[in-house]
Amino acid sequence: MPTGIVESPVKIDPRVAFQSPEVWAKVTGKAIYGGDLMLPGMLYGRILRSPHPHARIKKIDIKQASGLAGVRAVLTGSSIVQKPYGIVIDDELPLAEAVVRYIGDEVAAVAAVSYEQAAEAARLIRVEYEELPAVFDPAEALKKGAPQLHAKFPGNIAWERHLERGNCDQAFREADIVVENTFTVPPIHSTYLEPTVCLAVSDPYNGLILHTAVQSPDQVRTIVARVLDLPLSKVRVIGPVMGGGFGGRVYGNLKLYIIASLLAIRTGRPIKMQLTREEEFLVGRPLIGAELKLRMAVRSDGTILAREADIITDNGAYSAQAPWVSKTLSERNDSVYQFKAIKTKVRLVYTNKVPTGQYRAYGNQAANFATESLLDMAAAKLGFDPLEIRLKNCVRAGDVTVHGLQLKSCALADCLKAAAAEIGWHNRKEGRGYGISAAIHSSGSVVFDKNFRGAAALARLELDGRVSIFSGEQDYGQGAHATFTLIAARALGIPAELITIHTRDTLASPFSIGALGMRQTTIGGNAIRLAAEQLREKIVQTAADMVNEPVIFEGGSVKSASGQVIELPAIAFRYYSLTSGLTLVGEGKYVPAESAYDKSGYGNIAVTYSFAAHAAEVEVDKLTGEIIVHRIVAAHDSGRIINHLAALGQVYGGVTQGLGMSCFEGYLFEGGRVANASLADYRIPTSLDVPAIVPLFIEQDDPEGPYGAKGLGEIVQIPVLGAIANAIADTAGVRVTDLPITAEKVFLALSGWECEA
Amino acid sequence: MSYRIAKNLDSALEALKEKDPATRIVAGATDLFLQEMPARLVDVSSIEELTAIEEIDNRLVIGAAATHARAAASELIKGRAAALVEACLQVGSPQVRNIGTLGGNVVNAAPAADAAVALVALGAKAVLVDSSGVWREEAVARLYSSYNCSALDGCTELLVRFLIEPCGQGEGSAFRRFAARKALALPLANAAARLKLENGMIASLSLVAAPVGPAPTRLIGTEAAILGKPAGEETWLLAAETAAEEVEVRGSLLRCSAAYRRHLVGILTADALRAAARRAAVSQSGSLT
Amino acid sequence: MEKELIKFMLNGEPVEVYNDPASSLLHLLREKFSLTGTKEGCGEGECGACTVLLDDLAVNSCLIPAGKVNGRSVETIEALSKDGGVDPIQEAFVEKGAVQCGFCTPGMVMSARALLKQNPDPDPEEIKMAISGNLCRCTGYKQIEAAILLAAGKINSK
Repeated sequence: MPTGIVESPVKIDPRVAFQSPEVWAKVTGKAIYGGDLMLPGMLYGRILRSPHPHARIKKIDIKQASGLAGVRAVLTGSSIVQKPYGIVIDDELPLAEAVVRYIGDEVAAVAAVSYEQAAEAARLIRVEYEELPAVFDPAEALKKGAPQLHAKFPGNIAWERHLERGNCDQAFREADIVVENTFTVPPIHSTYLEPTVCLAVSDPYNGLILHTAVQSPDQVRTIVARVLDLPLSKVRVIGPVMGGGFGGRVYGNLKLYIIASLLAIRTGRPIKMQLTREEEFLVGRPLIGAELKLRMAVRSDGTILAREADIITDNGAYSAQAPWVSKTLSERNDSVYQFKAIKTKVRLVYTNKVPTGQYRAYGNQAANFATESLLDMAAAKLGFDPLEIRLKNCVRAGDVTVHGLQLKSCALADCLKAAAAEIGWHNRKEGRGYGISAAIHSSGSVVFDKNFRGAAALARLELDGRVSIFSGEQDYGQGAHATFTLIAARALGIPAELITIHTRDTLASPFSIGALGMRQTTIGGNAIRLAAEQLREKIVQTAADMVNEPVIFEGGSVKSASGQVIELPAIAFRYYSLTSGLTLVGEGKYVPAESAYDKSGYGNIAVTYSFAAHAAEVEVDKLTGEIIVHRIVAAHDSGRIINHLAALGQVYGGVTQGLGMSCFEGYLFEGGRVANASLADYRIPTSLDVPAIVPLFIEQDDPEGPYGAKGLGEIVQIPVLGAIANAIADTAGVRVTDLPITAEKVFLALSGWECEA
Repeated sequence: MSYRIAKNLDSALEALKEKDPATRIVAGATDLFLQEMPARLVDVSSIEELTAIEEIDNRLVIGAAATHARAAASELIKGRAAALVEACLQVGSPQVRNIGTLGGNVVNAAPAADAAVALVALGAKAVLVDSSGVWREEAVARLYSSYNCSALDGCTELLVRFLIEPCGQGEGSAFRRFAARKALALPLANAAARLKLENGMIASLSLVAAPVGPAPTRLIGTEAAILGKPAGEETWLLAAETAAEEVEVRGSLLRCSAAYRRHLVGILTADALRAAARRAAVSQSGSLT
Repeated sequence: MEKELIKFMLNGEPVEVYNDPASSLLHLLREKFSLTGTKEGCGEGECGACTVLLDDLAVNSCLIPAGKVNGRSVETIEALSKDGGVDPIQEAFVEKGAVQCGFCTPGMVMSARALLKQNPDPDPEEIKMAISGNLCRCTGYKQIEAAILLAAGKINSK
């Protein structure tokens, strides 16, 4: 196994390898995360959870718990005002009232002066349950007579979509070959290393302040205000440093925030609540599991004609973003190739298991695994080289895809060629398998809210001549602050060191959709660029007024036509003095063009699109089925790279997460119980498991993104799955269609043994 | 709750005199700490006698409180009982190896504890002393009573050290495991071998695999099948087949199916034999690796 | 919960504290000494975020009973920037972009420190091994490994 520390062939330009000064706080242990927060008089909250996958609550006795020393509040569903809520579907209550629907469902909550006392009090709450029949398998849940989870959703279907574009049946009639298979993907947890923490503070003057690190603080406060019936302006979210997000923290853990807020309001004391690592797995809203039945129609010349899909996604007991994720999972991947027709049926099904949500790439990676596997099966059947069939069919700049996406820039073919060349596609090593896979992802998705497609930012010149940027976008470790700093520095023409980015307080920053849909660089970055440009104009104007002659702003300082140098602090002070206290502020409003998507979702759904092709080189030990991934080449079209150091970090990290999902990770259930709710048993890759990773950036200007840039975060994970799956099949000669692809599964496929239960 | 760090063996034994069921001997405490902690703990990890790794009277003497990290780094063990070094290197993580001890690995009685598997294959004896000062020696394999349950009474008895006959000329040992990831993972299966070669024939051997029962288990059938056979591929394949046939395995959702585990036991047994034979051959030719 | 006097060296200074000896070193450090640089990622010894040095060896402080550190020496991430300075390991982490969300970082730095104390000139394989008990979800470890290699060079050239 090659184990050297491979330096990327990407040359890092030191001018674009900036890091936010926050890294110094992080590397010295001084950065404050949620778990580090303490307030005087703070109480600790604990939640009593359902031990049953499905049961009726007959009686809750809180007498003993309430009487325990140090206990300040015990809440149950019937002791609070309840309002159903959800992100897409209002199918949850803050605390279960009559029925619990999964192991982990929130039944009661306690606040006490110490964590231990709160935990003890939660243990002392007596709940009488009447167990109900439960259903764990989505296919079973769809059957007539299956236990029903929600009265409002008969048949257990939370959401469904039937979609046809083009004439699919005709395309299948025209096809020379049809390949089909069923692929399964288990729920996947983001596994951010920092467990979710929330510190809720409530007082009549300030209202409710939630100290918690989420990717979309404004969306969280909107929902919390709605559920608790508070004025929106009286709910504020302040983010400590975020210990990882990866999409799993877009809304954080809403239930935890709502319960902490209820306890804070009830007791008038700050409430700290933290999920244990086990709770993270039990209630942490993983990416939906899915079963994809796919058929693909291909002509003998390698032209891909159509794709038919019957997809069932496993919602668990409540739905979070699962409908949106199901939509992306069932659709986005279709825009990688020039499909003529598509027919898709996707059903999101309630089961008595962990409620689901989202993770990096919104299920696009699951679709990549399935489609790219199927495409290799088609290539094999036709005797086509997998690279050639992809080059023949992949989308190009100027294309409008089968779902109506308009590709203004697209270097996917170049990514495929570069990845293939670097992996040695035509120069293969003996005994190794090679696989390649391609991906598209929205860069700056605009479909989350029809009335809110873009982003806004403020750039403020401080009296000391420094510039503060206020944005509602979020840095959860991916380096958004550094990228924003570079964009603002470039727009203003001042050194990056003079700029500070403020994003974590909803009171100070403009409202934002948040860190999702690869919006940060494309949409948030554009807003910051515009804010900085406007501030720059204002600086020039104010300086010109000061010296009464034309000025130029260059190289960080302002010079008049006569050669006078006007320093930034002097300009700031002048405006402040003229206005008795105001500072110069640039406002940036980036509003992407109205999306043209119609009712069926056909049309342009993002500002632009990022592309990637990954190639993998693997070895399979035929004796044990052991998979040794040697190398992954990750070629990316993310437009112009703004920050090379951060971009490399995104690729290394995203590829590793892709490897995890391919070969290591996934929820294991025993009935409704999560069998692997720990970091020991939910296995993410360690340093010894990660292969050599070679990032390649195919840099081309994008007309929409700031300075030609497009998003990079989510897309990195997507093509890893197809590349590894195809490389394994290439060398093993057998194909595993259910993730994760483990040694055991490969071995069983090779040996033809029946797997025992 | 009390936590005493015993400075010497006598003071540790003194603490056991009361035969208080709430008193427990601990060393690394990594396993115990995640379970319900007894009220009185006596930490023996600082007792010199329990941490020493030395060779006395041509016997390898390894203190029960020697950590996995120290055992893994020991040149003395490497040259005489290589299987133990290989096993210790693969336990948990560097952090756990720095604190977890060989004695703890055995007393915690997990069925597939790597170091314990190597110790049993090496024929290690445990030296124990009870609170009244009575010493006894016991084969490590006999320290298990049932799944995750030690035969040693932690309230009255103390595991002091392990004794191993070093691998001499013509002898070699090896350890192999298979896990779902390369660190921070319990093995799906593991195996260890110790053998002696005479004129290219297997003159004596000890084979152990896990988890195939509550304790690291000798593969008696496989040993018998290949004893006296030449050290070579044919024999190793026979061993793989026999081992896979003779073991009783259980499947688990978290690790793997019984069938796959059975298969792995065979593969790992052959791998361990192959490596042990290589070492034996090298030691015979006189050049130590 | 009975408390006992625990005396030990903490970041080079002798300290004494009354504490439940069966609570974890991690909680002792975070709650009694406000040394919150040491992070809790799992509380079960499976992630390495709480790594500190105990007599110069990397250990999971979440698995160490507080009573065990009596008479011993504990070093946390805070020791590395005690006088306002920055350690070469930390410099290298920043230089190589090894810090993303930062939650694993203090533990990683301490594992790197333990390695370089024992082995000032590690090869890439030894570096990977030394951090194999520290999970990181952001970086794929590459820039961390490069940083440790760089740090070794920095320390050796001093």
